[in-house]
Amino acid sequence: MKTASAGTVESMDCIVTASEADPGSGVTVQIAGASAARFGSAMRAAVLSVVSKMGITDVTLSVQDNGALDLVLQARTEAALERLKGGDVA
Amino acid sequence: MSINAVGRHLPDAIPGYGPVKPFQGAAARVPEGHRDGGRLRAVYGGKDKVLPDLKAAIAASGLQSGMTISFHHHLRNGDHVINAVVDACAEMGLRDLVLFPTALFGVHKKLIPHIKSGVIRRIMGSVNGPIGQLVSEGGMEDPVVLRSHGGRPRAVTSGDVHIDVAFVGAPTADRYGNISGVGSRSACGSLGYAHTDAMYADCVVAVTDNLQPYPISRISIPQHYVDFVVAVESIGDPAGIVSGSTQITRDPLRLLISRYASQLIEASPCFKNGISFQTGAGGIPLAVTAFLKDAMKRRNVKGSFGLGGITGYFVDLLREGYVERLLDVQSFDLEAVKSIAENPDHIEISADWYANPWNSGAAVNALDVVILGATELDRDFNANVNTEADGALLHGTGGHQDTAAGAGLTIIAQPLLRGRIPCVVDAVYSVTTPGEVVDALVTEFGVTLNPRRTDLVEACREAKTVPLVPMEELVDRAKKLTGPMDPVVTEERIVGVIEWRDGTVLDVVRQLTPRK
Repeated sequence: MKTASAGTVESMDCIVTASEADPGSGVTVQIAGASAARFGSAMRAAVLSVVSKMGITDVTLSVQDNGALDLVLQARTEAALERLKGGDVA
Repeated sequence: MSINAVGRHLPDAIPGYGPVKPFQGAAARVPEGHRDGGRLRAVYGGKDKVLPDLKAAIAASGLQSGMTISFHHHLRNGDHVINAVVDACAEMGLRDLVLFPTALFGVHKKLIPHIKSGVIRRIMGSVNGPIGQLVSEGGMEDPVVLRSHGGRPRAVTSGDVHIDVAFVGAPTADRYGNISGVGSRSACGSLGYAHTDAMYADCVVAVTDNLQPYPISRISIPQHYVDFVVAVESIGDPAGIVSGSTQITRDPLRLLISRYASQLIEASPCFKNGISFQTGAGGIPLAVTAFLKDAMKRRNVKGSFGLGGITGYFVDLLREGYVERLLDVQSFDLEAVKSIAENPDHIEISADWYANPWNSGAAVNALDVVILGATELDRDFNANVNTEADGALLHGTGGHQDTAAGAGLTIIAQPLLRGRIPCVVDAVYSVTTPGEVVDALVTEFGVTLNPRRTDLVEACREAKTVPLVPMEELVDRAKKLTGPMDPVVTEERIVGVIEWRDGTVLDVVRQLTPRK
């Protein structure tokens, strides 16, 4: 299974890891870390908005958060998805 | 059911706590009656109170299952005493003990097995780290009771809490029970939090790793309060007892906040000869003190005293003549420990003297300025320091309530966001300190004044040195940055009771529902 990630565990950043999912399995998002308890819904919405904007229908995303604002979370999500798509799995 | 003066709905009674007296206002409750006290005892003759070990002292103290044992937290995260005493109690078959520490630290996570096995039934005092998490998830039968540094001695002297046996970690003790906080490798300086316990407990056991011939000097707690003395290998790890020099923050954001706070103080009516302040050991408060020192120099203002937890930075202020005295309830670092042992103007005070609202006048009453932190503040300026954003009970109240109530100018200084968590919200999750005693919040966006303090609003407008940001604007800004918050999901069951310093209930903390 191919995976790719973007981000760091610095304060106010996060690591987003994207993994290939079987066609038809849909989008799965797991969120853990500093803000998950109080901002889980907002974070999920932010991640899903990037996924849909990029036209991706099947992917598994895992967020390890350390206090990222939406701006950062969305940038990390986009980068992880681009890397997965482009085969750049660094 | 009733609603208290900060708008919290409270039950009439809480299982394991008893009847609830709702908070009515910061200075509303007037006590009646007389002080409580320890058991009378007489000792005719004898020159030695030393017993061979902790178990011998526990047996001699008459400690039984279900009783209350107290400890001080001057050995902080280096403390070996609490764990060793509870281990010994467990081995002796004691159960259902009520632990009444002045605070607990990470090192005390070793108590968790004793909580689970029923040796400890209840904790009255701050819980943090793993024990706080355990309590928050419902791992203790009776609710934790959170009291401030002044509320605790109030509870003891008024008889709300009766201490059966006080175990006093003693950096130095002599064979007849005189105790000092200095003079050994485990020196912690002031023993302020231990005084009241020693005076009001039925039995007092000194636990030392520096037993000296009678009598020692620089005595904090004298022999006539102390029943038994036990010498142990080590009462604590010096590295955990005192920190190295506490550092002023170098983060530009925090320095900006500190400068705004200092400018607020300079603009306020407090800034004149005789000014007194408490700033604790945090990075921002220390930086505020540094900026304040510059301002005092520039405007030729001399202070009177520094209060509370004392650091090397305050010792320098004393030495350089910026303040005349230090009133020290807790010595944070090596410099403070050294100074309290040598300098007669560096004075040890008890928690009762420091902050108890029910005596003939505590030191906080004379305080002009205090700089504090908080996990969150709301539109009414109510402050929460006890629970984290996820609803877990992770912090003690400390002197927050007492200094806020006593000081002429109470400032909460911190960045608007910690990670994604905002420090201003519509309503705080738990109320630790009511907004009526909080005067200003200082963030990187400027100074937010409690509108109640019209004098400060006017002084700041006149000085034109501090940017003023209304609370509404700050809350909106925080919301825009962080997005909407999900509610904390809890059970009905109450796991923590937050008392105001007068023993009335400000708020309760409920058991967290496990997240899926």
